[in-house]
Amino acid sequence: MITPLDPKAASELRHELRTPVNHILGYAEMLREDAPDGSADALCIDDIIAVAHEVLGAINAALPPTGVATLDDLSQLLTALIAPQAKMLAVTEQLLVGERDAQFATDVQRIAQAVGRLTAVPVPSALAERRDAMRTTPSAGSAAELPVPRADAKGRILIVDDVEENRAVLARRLGREGYDTASADSGEAALALVAQGAFDLVLLDVLMPGMDGFAVLERIKSDAATRSIPVIMISALDDLASVVRCIEHGAEDYLTKPFDPVLLRARIGASLEKKRWHDREADYLRQVSRVIEAASAVESGAYVAGTLAGVTGRDDELGRLARVFDAMAAGVRARESRLRAQLRELQSDVTLATNEFEALQERETADGAFPPGTVLAGRYDVVSVLGTGGMGVVYRARDRELNEDVAVKTIRRELVTSDAVLAERLKSEIRLARRISHRNVVRTHDLGDADGHLFVTMELVQGLTVRELLTTRGRLGVASTLAVARQFAEALSVAHDAGVIHRDIKPENALIDGDGVLKVMDFGIARLAEATSTRTQTGMVVGTPAYMSPEQLVGEEIDPRADLYSLGVVMYECLTGEAPFSAPSAVALIARVLTAEPTPPVSRNADVPPALSALVMRLLSKSAADRPASAAILQEQLAELG
Amino acid sequence: MPRILLVEDNEMNRDMLSRRLQRRGYTVELAVDGLDGVSRALEGGWDLVLMDMSLPEIDGWEATRRIRAGGDAGQMPIIALTAHAMSGDRDKAIEAGCNDYDTKPVDLERLLGKMTALGAPPA
Repeated sequence: MITPLDPKAASELRHELRTPVNHILGYAEMLREDAPDGSADALCIDDIIAVAHEVLGAINAALPPTGVATLDDLSQLLTALIAPQAKMLAVTEQLLVGERDAQFATDVQRIAQAVGRLTAVPVPSALAERRDAMRTTPSAGSAAELPVPRADAKGRILIVDDVEENRAVLARRLGREGYDTASADSGEAALALVAQGAFDLVLLDVLMPGMDGFAVLERIKSDAATRSIPVIMISALDDLASVVRCIEHGAEDYLTKPFDPVLLRARIGASLEKKRWHDREADYLRQVSRVIEAASAVESGAYVAGTLAGVTGRDDELGRLARVFDAMAAGVRARESRLRAQLRELQSDVTLATNEFEALQERETADGAFPPGTVLAGRYDVVSVLGTGGMGVVYRARDRELNEDVAVKTIRRELVTSDAVLAERLKSEIRLARRISHRNVVRTHDLGDADGHLFVTMELVQGLTVRELLTTRGRLGVASTLAVARQFAEALSVAHDAGVIHRDIKPENALIDGDGVLKVMDFGIARLAEATSTRTQTGMVVGTPAYMSPEQLVGEEIDPRADLYSLGVVMYECLTGEAPFSAPSAVALIARVLTAEPTPPVSRNADVPPALSALVMRLLSKSAADRPASAAILQEQLAELG
Repeated sequence: MPRILLVEDNEMNRDMLSRRLQRRGYTVELAVDGLDGVSRALEGGWDLVLMDMSLPEIDGWEATRRIRAGGDAGQMPIIALTAHAMSGDRDKAIEAGCNDYDTKPVDLERLLGKMTALGAPPA
């Protein structure tokens, strides 16, 4: 039958058909730009684009802009569109599996809507009849077709029955009630459809030639991908055994023919409602496991920002949990990156200072009691003098046994030899200090005696003391100061936990290596100075009043909070370039430490954040009770500052 | 950033094309029918107008003619977009005052080429 189409009608049809294809292509190409090559999404989208181009070609061939189109051409075209349409719908469904970004899902749904419109175009009435016949009558080869999803449909139902009239009756009735339906005339066709289409319910005839309803049910229920689709069995068999068999195989319900329409409606409604709850629950559990996965990722440091997008959008408890969690993880990440930045700044300060320092001044080359080449206690070859302190000389020496360089600190003879009890106490302090093993503490190795000189061997750190850093740089930036304070606090926290109070925290007693790692030294040694200070002659400077807490200055019993005061002074000096108190004499200085209020750091340097200034002021409280209660609490307070 | 006026009545086409152009660095503003298109176009300041031809109220050809008749403000480049691809569409568009013509489905690279040629390259 050759019926030419009216050219205007043909042109309009062409437009109606091409418009959805344009939308499919436009959105698909846009999504493709975002999908990494080779990803599952990219492959799916490429499929859609390829099929859409085929469809476009078919439309152009059947309805050429010039020339005459016939009703047969159009009829063939509409038939030819069914397979690509089903294919594109199946792919869009694949693209929507799992948790998707909202914009992505919207765009894919727009593609699906456009795909749906392909066969919904208004066609000449003669053809409309043919098309409807084509939709409800299974064709010879494949007796199954996918329905075009209706946006307002209550659910998609697959009707499986070998008798055509039964399928037609059910399809009409369900269609009237607002369901989308698809039909299959055999078990095999049903399984093929179930595999490619997302159905909400299957109505399954039990008695069919070939693969019967029991077998189909068994296959649907044994496949993880289709197991959750509810199946209602429909049969003329009314015997208890077949009902039981169906229920045992996982059928949702069982209806006998001829069925009551009201009962059918109620059972379908109930099944779909159950499935919706089931889907929601499954979705919930999937999202719960995503939160759990994210938690382990955070624990192992592999958390990627935005992993919980999709879950955080929920307006229930899980969503709230995910949001709180996401924010916490983001906070942790931000803090880690701040800490890294602080360390980098400190590192660059050290690098700059090292260059300047070496250019400006030669290290103090005090004469030691032991010239280079001396072997101490048969084990340590003196290499050079590193410096001198209140207590004695520090040498670089080669440890013959371990074959590595160490620092050897000698203790001035007059400090120890006069008092055997004192020497014992020193030894016990150092034994305690040796227990502290931490990256921010200079490791104490050994206590020895050479020609009546007591000496302590320690880890050799290549770097500058905080004092040298301050001398060269004047003062430090906020980030560097925080890096110094944080590492000091960590060292103190570990030492205090081990029962060791430093007693002489000051810029001279901390080294910073080239990586910006600060190491506190002389744990255990300061005790000596303190113990001897009351018995030494005038002019001997032991302890450092500028850094000592009021309680330490007046000789009261001290606790770890004395170290925190001293750290407060160090931080003050880092931030402002000056100690909180200065005075022309030691006595005047001590008086000021005991009675004067320091000027807040922020008043001396406007760059200091008020919260940091306030924390330093708390550390400098005259009464230990007003300071942070422990180094661990100080660490927390520093962390809150950034 | 080149400023583009997209005159298009179909919501999906508007959404799709404007987003694809924004991704290439264009500032895209929208008009939804021919009359709206003419008044927006004559506000001036456009680097280029993309004009769908099948529009409600007045069609794209008529809208183009009115823009061209609008004096200095109406002399920006205009590219006609049509879904019909009928022979003669191109001539008809050029006759109405369009500088160039493209068919839907939009091949973005091809369209960008035409926009570039008319002085509105991607940013």
